[in-house]
Amino acid sequence: MEVAELQDKIYAFCLAAKGKKKLKEKDIIKGVSAELSLEPDEVKKAMRAMIDVGRLMYSYGGGASSVEIPSEEYLREKGLIK
Amino acid sequence: MKKYNTPLIDELEKGPWPSFVTEMKKAAKTNEMSNDALGHLEKCYSTKIGYWKHGGIVGVLGYGGGVIGRYSEIGEEFPGVAHFHTVRLNQPSGFFYTSKALREICDIWDKYGSGLTNVHGSTGDLVLLGTKTDALEAIFAEYSSRGWDLGSSGSALRTPSCCVGPGRCEWTNYDTLGLTYALTQEFQDEMHRPTFSYKFKIKSSGCACDCVAALARADMSIIGTWKGDIKIDQAEVKNYAKTMDINKEIVNMCPTQCMDYDGKELKINNKECSRCMHCITRMTKALKPSGERGATICIGSKAPIVVGSLLSWVIIPFIKVEPPYTELKDLIRKIWDWWDENAKPRERIGEVIEMKGMRSFLEAIGVKPMPQQIKEPRKDPFMFYTEDDIAAYKAKEAEEKKTGKYRF
Amino acid sequence: MALPQRKTDIGPPHYEQFLPPVIKKNYGKWKYHEVINNGSMVHVAESGDKLWTVRVASPRLLSTATIREHCDIADKYCDGFFRYTTRNNVEFLVSDEKKLEPLKKDLSARGFKMGGIGKCITNVVHTQGWVHCHSACTDASGLVKSMMDELYDYFEKKTLPNKVRLAVACCVNMCGAVHCSDIAVVAVHTQVPNINHENFKNMCELPTVIGSCPTRAISPDPAKKSIKINSEKCMYCGNCFTVCPPISIKNPERDGVAIVVGGKINSLRTNPKFSKLVIPYISNEPPRWPKAVAAIKHIVEVYAANARKHERIGEWIERIGWERFFSLTGIDFTFQSIDDFTFMRDTMRTASTFKW
Repeated sequence: MEVAELQDKIYAFCLAAKGKKKLKEKDIIKGVSAELSLEPDEVKKAMRAMIDVGRLMYSYGGGASSVEIPSEEYLREKGLIK
Repeated sequence: MKKYNTPLIDELEKGPWPSFVTEMKKAAKTNEMSNDALGHLEKCYSTKIGYWKHGGIVGVLGYGGGVIGRYSEIGEEFPGVAHFHTVRLNQPSGFFYTSKALREICDIWDKYGSGLTNVHGSTGDLVLLGTKTDALEAIFAEYSSRGWDLGSSGSALRTPSCCVGPGRCEWTNYDTLGLTYALTQEFQDEMHRPTFSYKFKIKSSGCACDCVAALARADMSIIGTWKGDIKIDQAEVKNYAKTMDINKEIVNMCPTQCMDYDGKELKINNKECSRCMHCITRMTKALKPSGERGATICIGSKAPIVVGSLLSWVIIPFIKVEPPYTELKDLIRKIWDWWDENAKPRERIGEVIEMKGMRSFLEAIGVKPMPQQIKEPRKDPFMFYTEDDIAAYKAKEAEEKKTGKYRF
Repeated sequence: MALPQRKTDIGPPHYEQFLPPVIKKNYGKWKYHEVINNGSMVHVAESGDKLWTVRVASPRLLSTATIREHCDIADKYCDGFFRYTTRNNVEFLVSDEKKLEPLKKDLSARGFKMGGIGKCITNVVHTQGWVHCHSACTDASGLVKSMMDELYDYFEKKTLPNKVRLAVACCVNMCGAVHCSDIAVVAVHTQVPNINHENFKNMCELPTVIGSCPTRAISPDPAKKSIKINSEKCMYCGNCFTVCPPISIKNPERDGVAIVVGGKINSLRTNPKFSKLVIPYISNEPPRWPKAVAAIKHIVEVYAANARKHERIGEWIERIGWERFFSLTGIDFTFQSIDDFTFMRDTMRTASTFKW
């Protein structure tokens, strides 16, 4: 699978959980690799690349870290949108 | 700049001990954020309640830790601390600095932050207290381009920390500074990108004095120890005898009663010594460990949340600690794999071991049961037997029948 | 002005560049050390080189101005090299004995306080408190300042049977080794939390909140799409507040501090020990917490008068027995000191051999 396509799937996976469940890295890696029958490492790499450019972001709340879709405010602060 | 009236915290500028309020006031002279932090603190003192909100979602692009979001509930009243985030800088091993390096750290912090710090935080990071969200990327660029990376926070490997070790201590059994640097570099990804169920701390102490409190404060506590005899310099023992009652202060306080002193010569039955360090620390000129050096690996300590404090448990009685530390790094990875597999959210490894049983953990990391791991064996008769366990006991008995000799 | 290019995953700078030449030369080859007085000690290397350390107190919360002053002193006497300790002290290191007295004189003239080495009281490990933490139920820095002002002689010049390690935690999360200190203060809540049901729905995950409770006091409240807290089971630990901001537990008139004693970390003579609860509650009394400070000083003084040389507080108490500790200190023994959480089996007495 192309990386871009995989990243779209990861994004969709995170979008589906938005507001319902705080996803940990592990949840995304396990969930997406099971869904697409991919190696966990491949998913992890693609997800990390998304975090590096701000398509996803690390979050923190309730005493634990998670991964989520960034808010506009975050993107603006990072200079990724105007 | 607004001038706050701070009669309550002014009380804390009196007395001989250095005052944190004086420090805040020093920073507040030129810094609006620190000035508001003073007013904010005075308000806490007058109402006896804190006003900081839970940490929020702030950080630098790509990292999931190193910045702790902090917002005030009363930011309108104290706009300088409406955002007051913490930045953790990864300290150098052993907290050694040069004036040049620290001045550079201060210059950047004065430019972007409150000018207030903690040197150091409880975990070991150099903590920069109080900045705004829009300064974070600039702060990271300034520090990282000069060789300083962020420390850790969140569900990640927390910044490893160690005692002064070979830098300035005759008792260390391995290079705590070297190991801490090597582990920190090896596990950068696990530090900056939170992938665990909860925090994981590694602390390294060179001997059982444990100056970094590893046994109480680290999920993995690496405590230096040795296997050989304690070498005795009898001439120095004589010197100590001039100022010390050796029988009362050393021999009788030895927990294993493995020492003997007849007024002339000190003897140690090294086989029975448990290496507690009492005699060595009291007679450092006369007594010195010898032979093989390494560390005891203990796992699981933590503070009371959720169901009570834990001290770390002995897992591996002795391991060599030498560069490139491959055995230790492999062990750490195995420990994380098992933890990752078994932990519920916000479960420290000690708690998971309690839930799943020590056997599951030890088997996963390939460590045999040893009496050195326990204070005493179990007291109850409720235990698991696997089919393999029974097969092994039966095989042993079959062997005994052949040889006519019992092996218990 | 353009920012420099950021770098990621570089880790901390290598410590070697921060080691003074005498340490580089004698790294791992130290022979022995001697404590000269509470403020200084000398380490002697196998090579015969000597390294003097002068330890200086710090409030941990430092302004950049004070760090710069540390730098100035290090430049003047230590070729720019110095270090901090795990207990927040500053240490100035000199390899030339001629520099030692001028260094001390200068430190003293600048108002820096030297001490904390050997069998005495050194700096206090503590948490953020009201200065910077959301979950604080007291101010750690203020308590530390008030305690150390009162115990200052034990830092600067007096000695004790052994070292006394103090700690302050501004809530039961206990960041720092409060649970294994000779004497520690831990701030406590004493009331069941309130729940903002309206916000609960949006901000909290039900299973996480239920799972956060060590005493299983939390159950779902389906009607409100929120939770209920059983007040008979709740021990006010505040862990539910940590995972769910709409749960509030702070209460200025009910929050207070407890005092625990007898913990230790090292393995010298006896194994590491947890600190045990002796005073369950003292009201929060900012700015100087007079009763808590008096209690700590009293315990230190009773220890100093009764312990044998080398005994830490916990070892002394184990020798004389807890019943004797309570009678010697005159501290009231209360229900709170009897464990009804997880350690009752291990902590009740099972013999009639106690002291009157």
